[in-house]
Amino acid sequence: MPVYNLCMRIIRKNIPSLLIYLFVFVGVSIIVSSSSANPQKAVNEFTRKKADIAFISKDDSPLIEGLRNEIGKIANFIDIPDNKGDLQDALFFRRVVYILRVPEGFAQKFIAGEEVFLEKTFVPGSASSAYIDLSVDKYLNTAKFYLEHMDNISQEGLVAYLNDTLSEEATVTVLPARTKTNLSNLAYTYNYMAYSLSSILILGMSAIMMALNDKDLKNRMSCSPISGTKSNLQFFLACLTFSGAAWLVQIIACFILDLENVMTLNTVFFIISSLVFTFCGTALGYLIGSIVKGTEAIPAITNVVVLGSCFLSGVFVPAELLGKSTLKIASFTPAYWFVKANNQIAQLSQFDLSSLKPVFSDIAVIFCFASAFFALSLLIRKTKRYN
Amino acid sequence: MFAHIFMNRLRCLLRDKETIFWTFAFPLALSLFFYLALSNIGKGETFQEIDIAVVNDSRYQEDLYFKTALEEASKGEDRLFDLTLATEEEAGKLLENGSIKGYIKAGDQIELVVKESGMYQSIIKSFLDNYSQTFKAVETVLRNDPKKYQEVMESLKDRKNYVKEVPTAGGKPDIVINYFYTLIAMACMYGSFFGMRETSDIQADISPLAARINIAPVHKLKAFLSSICASMLIHLVVMLALLGFIRYVLNIDFGPRTGYVLLTMVIGSITGVFFGAFVSALVKKSEGIKVAVLIGVSMLGSFLAGMMYIDIKYLISMNVPFLSWINPVNLLTDAFYSLYYLDDLSRYALNIGVLSGFATLFCVLTYLILRRRKYAGL
Repeated sequence: MPVYNLCMRIIRKNIPSLLIYLFVFVGVSIIVSSSSANPQKAVNEFTRKKADIAFISKDDSPLIEGLRNEIGKIANFIDIPDNKGDLQDALFFRRVVYILRVPEGFAQKFIAGEEVFLEKTFVPGSASSAYIDLSVDKYLNTAKFYLEHMDNISQEGLVAYLNDTLSEEATVTVLPARTKTNLSNLAYTYNYMAYSLSSILILGMSAIMMALNDKDLKNRMSCSPISGTKSNLQFFLACLTFSGAAWLVQIIACFILDLENVMTLNTVFFIISSLVFTFCGTALGYLIGSIVKGTEAIPAITNVVVLGSCFLSGVFVPAELLGKSTLKIASFTPAYWFVKANNQIAQLSQFDLSSLKPVFSDIAVIFCFASAFFALSLLIRKTKRYN
Repeated sequence: MFAHIFMNRLRCLLRDKETIFWTFAFPLALSLFFYLALSNIGKGETFQEIDIAVVNDSRYQEDLYFKTALEEASKGEDRLFDLTLATEEEAGKLLENGSIKGYIKAGDQIELVVKESGMYQSIIKSFLDNYSQTFKAVETVLRNDPKKYQEVMESLKDRKNYVKEVPTAGGKPDIVINYFYTLIAMACMYGSFFGMRETSDIQADISPLAARINIAPVHKLKAFLSSICASMLIHLVVMLALLGFIRYVLNIDFGPRTGYVLLTMVIGSITGVFFGAFVSALVKKSEGIKVAVLIGVSMLGSFLAGMMYIDIKYLISMNVPFLSWINPVNLLTDAFYSLYYLDDLSRYALNIGVLSGFATLFCVLTYLILRRRKYAGL
């Protein structure tokens, strides 16, 4: 099988550059699976959300100590050196979302009834800022209330009253959560395949096509005793071997990194969607290989096509964080439907027809993309041949 | 002679579509992808009025204080809640389908029903705690002195805000901006592809073109300088276009100090070109290996400056500050960040100082490697 062997030799030559994408995939998968090592337990008990804040106090009175304890119920205090640059850096990179500064002599002036303020620097408009403000105002307004109505109250006495009052809490009931499958980390790993698998398939396929498009080679092949049909069959067999191997290696990597879920039905559907996507990636590689003229252009086109579709479709940034118009543009790429299918598979807990219908329709769209790419490339090749 | 080499080199470089793609079109496309993918990220942390429901039964209607408090918190521009009145069954359905974050049942002990713990649920709880606690405070005071009833009720209306925002001089802490700064920094370092070409085309043992240039009756330094000036000019124009695109088309803020932003870009571009020249002079291997080294260093630098994962930049600067100072991509990113976010220029000056040092070092080392090179045979 000379054509088959030639294709395999070309792929072997390109293995180092293809391996880069495989390493990136394995690296990202390891990071994702290690971050899910401590899965969140389904709790039916309410836990308060804590915001990370910096609390800088120039006043060590009991009133401020009490304030610190009260805020401590809803915030984690992060130690940041008290200088402008470090504090601003911490806020920008979200080490903290709120910086509260208590000016010197605050408690004394507050007790004396003077108009005093605490100073905050925060991420404008953030929910955590509203949360902390609520707690600080609650503490100080209650303190003011006691100061106004309890005669001759000492600072320690005030704090004791405050502690007693602020221990009163509303009852919270958390509805029992329905058992729901959530394999979002596994879905992220499979979604990431849209980047690594597409890159590998397009680069490999175009490398084969570039070599086979060489005029001298074409002439040599047409005068050889192998018929056109046979050489085409060998070519397709080579493409099948290459794309099958690329897919298998990544699927095995997924299995090894997530042994826990290998035997679930969800994995079967992940396998089906990734297999159809592999077919689509191969078709896209075939199309790009048919259009592009120089070998130098291939990495450029691959990077723009693959990175572009992955950024827009929610492979790198979760799809729920993307704008509606971005997703609309993305729906013209197969990666979007692949990500959509995977995200739905990750949520599947029942495998009846109505739950599976949206998954199958997304997979069908990927298949349609693949067919369109193949049809288009055959058309281009035919036109080129006549020219 | 300078003009002659410069013009021809300019023409030659402009025809090199591959380098133009990687230095211009690729960062431009990447900036567009960043814009489309990241523009919504900041909105996730923005506070939005919380959708809640209250069970509209007789206990709620009779508890006038609680009713007023809840209605007050759901009124006006700065409201905390968007309130819906519902029966318990309706409220349960709303909660189940995610239309509300929680619902409240009035009574002696106020109850909040939620589906999960979270920031918004915690804010609702804080509000309800606040109400119960105020009630308890009133109780405590009245137990002490029952005559104060009227006075106490009056004073409850007088609630103050005790936290005042301190205005910061620089820009908003918008995390997405840093992605674009790292991208520009990476594009500056991609100028190294031009630098690499320049040293490859002046070393006679590397390319036939360089061999031809070496036998021309022109001083090697003069030939090299004229060519590298052409490279720098192209890269500067390319960077200016990229900067203009990011600033005016994608509307990414760089702060008010435009002059300094341009200066940073120029120094970044020079550093990038000389970095490529230095690596190419140092690594006596094929072009593929040189390109791999350049891409590897730029990508690693970009990663450490937070291009793929923003927290890395902060983690490195806190834990391994040395690594921040030897990474040109981080120095450039930090210079743009300082111009946008910080009001004083000392950190910017430090970044630019170290970066200029790197540019000079690359330039001098390239010169030392290339000078007086003679070839016994090619």
